[in-house]
Parts: sequence; structure tokens; C-alpha cells
Amino acid sequence: MTWEVGEEIVKKILEKAPYAEGRVRRERRLEFKIPAERIRDFLMLMKENNFPLMLQISAVDWVKDGEIELVYHLMNVELRTHAMVKVRIPRDLDKAKMPTVRDIYPAAETYERDVHDFFGVYFEGNEKMEMPWILDDPERGLYPHRKDFDMLGYVKKKYKILDRFDENKDKYVI
Amino acid sequence: MVTQEELIKEARENGMELYPIEKDTYELFFGPQHMATENFSIILKMDGNRVVKAIANPGFLHRGFEKLAEFRPWYTNIALLLRICVPESDVPEAIYSMAVDEIIGWEVPERAQWIRTVVLEMARVSAYLFWIMGLSFKLGVYTAGQWAAAYRERLMRLFEELTGARVYHIYTIPGGVRRDIPGDKWLRQLKDTVEYIRSKLPDFDNLVFENYITYKRMEGIGVMDKKFALAEGVTGPNLRATGVAYDVRKDDPYLFYPELDFEVPTLKEGDALARALVRRYELEQDLYILEQLLEMGPPSGSYKVEDPRLKNLPRFKVPAGDAFAHVESTKGDFGAYIVSDGGNKPYRVHVRGPSIAHGIRVLEQLLVGARIADVPIILMSLDNCPPDIDR
Repeated sequence: MTWEVGEEIVKKILEKAPYAEGRVRRERRLEFKIPAERIRDFLMLMKENNFPLMLQISAVDWVKDGEIELVYHLMNVELRTHAMVKVRIPRDLDKAKMPTVRDIYPAAETYERDVHDFFGVYFEGNEKMEMPWILDDPERGLYPHRKDFDMLGYVKKKYKILDRFDENKDKYVI
Repeated sequence: MVTQEELIKEARENGMELYPIEKDTYELFFGPQHMATENFSIILKMDGNRVVKAIANPGFLHRGFEKLAEFRPWYTNIALLLRICVPESDVPEAIYSMAVDEIIGWEVPERAQWIRTVVLEMARVSAYLFWIMGLSFKLGVYTAGQWAAAYRERLMRLFEELTGARVYHIYTIPGGVRRDIPGDKWLRQLKDTVEYIRSKLPDFDNLVFENYITYKRMEGIGVMDKKFALAEGVTGPNLRATGVAYDVRKDDPYLFYPELDFEVPTLKEGDALARALVRRYELEQDLYILEQLLEMGPPSGSYKVEDPRLKNLPRFKVPAGDAFAHVESTKGDFGAYIVSDGGNKPYRVHVRGPSIAHGIRVLEQLLVGARIADVPIILMSLDNCPPDIDR
């Protein structure tokens, strides 16, 4: 299905950002894929193009590709359009770094803290990154939403009194 | 009269260890068990009874729903995710189902869409009544709170007849709804209930929304402007109280909303009172929407898609892809980003609770300078739902 308003927005944005890929997914849904180092330029461009509202930053751990995908959800209130800006970064802890965008979208600060706590992506320039967030101190540095997080091992370690975890079983239903 | 300084000096001389207090400020842990904070914890730095600094302290409720959802088959996740926001548990069901529908490419039958719209609006009305209960308890008008709880009970009873459960309905499922509406009697009862609640709105106005005490307590506290609210990602009635008419039902239409005629109430002041009044107007609009839907009547047809995949739910698979769906809840824009890798479990479920925007940064900034007695009022006027934050 073609949606002309969306095609125009994508065309207008891609003219100024030739490094990006953009497409119309369906009515009122746009999608952009950009290289990680251009995120600040691109979000600044999006804000100038009437996307004032940041809804959230989602992270997806693609463990087979060795990458973490960050999805910035933006909303255009006037043209009633939702845009996803997708970025891929390596998932190694020392390389999973992104520049913060909280000076462009102040709301991003909270979402960045969220992604840092659960995925271990470090957002450079966000001062609140070091502050305690949802997880307790002993859990910090474990990054529970990563796909290779050993959930059963963690449960066994934390709740030692539970003896229902049989060592001989290799499959558990959680 | 003995001054406080003398008492402190005496206590120190008697060997008591007192913490050094710089000037007159002290730290106050507000919540999470305190009932005025609705399971949310704030660390306040106080000077006398004025807040100097506030730090939101989430994490008390964290239940790891998003991680658990990755280990469960697609259909059983509904029973899990609806627990994210208790007062309107139909919203997480709806966003999850809508996102899954979009990934599969299902066209949900009209009858199912109609039922989903009715359920969502009923949830909105019951959540607003629940909110009125909270607000009036915090204002000290307990009578209105008890009325609101009693009227909500009528909706709960209708929900029970429709879905088999009072609070957690597990009703909206991918592809439609779980079962059909019980019959014309139920529709008549719903119509009566809507009329009944509408007839009781003037009572709430007299007791709460036009009350001198409410104006004294709520006017001019927790003020935010349009620019600030948009930058902070605030949505829902909190944003509409600053003058931005952003409503997902109008701006990203879903289900039956494009065919309905309703207004999006906005106010300009952006203070606690404006937020309360916007909610009051919205309650009226929601009742109006329900009236329209009931007048329209349920369209004929099936209440869920007919697909062979629905025969074996544990092995039900969703093709690889991702989708974002969002609906308007009473707290704001409630969304879910769902990724599938083609298996029988979701690869990633990320829920966007509206409270995460106005419950952390905005709250921290609005509380500065407020009196201790205003803290629960500001919290209640923002309608913070802590489980949204601690998913």
C-alpha cells in the first residue's frame, strides 16, 4: 500500500541524509536504518522535521549476528506519523557504546538508563548512567535482557534454598 | 521554652549519635509502602516542609515481564503482560494482540474490532473512576472515592460476565477476542450502566471538581508548559492539559475510532488542576463513545479470525518481523514493540509504559519547591502507574 504523505516525508529526509535508508512500512509508519555514528545528526534532522516526541528506545539483542539493535521511536504529532530509527552496534561490552541524545530529546535520558541497565549499552555523555536504576546492586553488570544471560544459573545462585532444580535434567520449563 | 538546638545539644552531651544536618535540610524516603505514593518511591530532600530536591527511585515492583515473555509461547504471554498496569489491564492485551496481528498480517473481523473498542473504552471509564477514587482520598473527600469505587464495581460485574474475570480479563487475543459477547441482555446492562454513571457525574462535580478546597489544593502546583512536556515525552491527559491535542485515538487511529465522533479536550494551564479537569472531561467523552458504539450495535460476523494455526496454540508460530502498536490509555500513549524470529515464542517484547516519561524526570522536576502535602496531589494528578516503569 502506498501512502503519499509518508513517501514525501521519507524523500525530504533522505535528501538531507544520504547515508540513511528509509521506507514506508504502512500507513503512518516509517522506518529508517542509519549507521551508528550518525545517530546524533540524524535525530537532530528528525527533530527539525517535526518529530518532537520520543516515545521510547527499544533494544534487541541479535546474538547470532553479534549485534544489538537500538530502535528510536519518534512521533510526529502534526502529520500523525510514527517513525522508527534503527541502529546496529556490536554487542561486545567494550564496543557497545553510543553517544547520548538527551540534549536533543531530554526524555531519552530515562530510556538510555533503561537500555544500559538491561543490555549494557553505554551512552557516552549521559551523567545519570552511573546512578542506580531499577536493578539492585548485586545484579548490576549482569545485563539480564541479553540473550546469553544465564537465567537458570542466576536463579540457582540467588535462591539457594530451592532444591527443585535437578542437576541431571538438561531442560527446564520456566 | 526549650529550643530545638538546645535539645540537640543536650542529646549529644548525653552520648546520642546524631547525624550532622547541613542547615535545615533532611532526607525523607517517601514511599514505596506509603499509600499516597501508589507503590512508588521518591527520595526527597526537604527544607522545612518544602522539597528542595527529588529523586525518583523505581525498582520496587520490578517483575521482569519482558524477559519472562521471551520464554513463553505467544498466546500465554497475554496472561502475563496484562499485569503491567492493573487499573486498565485491557490495554497491554490490546497492544500485544495488535502488534502480533500486524506481524502476521491478519485482518481482524469487524465484530472483534467492535468488541475490542467497547472493552478498551470500558477499561478507560473504570480506570478514570479508579483515579477519581485515588484523587478524592488524597484530597480528603472520602465520600466521592467510595462512590467512584461503587460505580466501578458495576463495570467490573459486566467485565466478569463478558470475560469470566473481574480484573485480569485475558480477553483480547491475537486474531480477535476470546469469546463472543454474552447476548443482548449484556448490551442492555452496559447501556444502563453508562447512563447511570453519566447521571452521577454532576455529583462528582459538586463534591470534587467544583469544590473550593480542590481549587485551593490543586491550582498552580506542578505546572509544566507545552514545550517542556513535548520534550520530556509526556503523553495523554498530562500533555493535553498543556494545550497539545495529541490523542492516539485521533492521531494514529485503530479499531473503530475513525468512525466515532468525539472530542479531545485540552486546557492550557498545565497545572495539577488542569490535568484533573482534562480527565474529568475525558470521562464524559468516553461515556459518549460507549453510547455511540452501543447505538451502532455489534456488526455481524465472526469474533476471531478463522485460521488453522489457531487450532494448536502451543505450536502457534509467528513469522519473522517486528511491529509497533500503541493505544491511548488513561495514563497516555501505551505502546509495545514486538520482534519475532519465526519461532513459537517472541524474540523480544518491549512495552512502552506512559508513566516512564512522566514518572521519572518530569516528576523530579515538578516536585521541586512543592510542599510536602502537595507531593501526593502532584503524583496523583500525573496519574503515575509504577508497574509501567518497573516492567
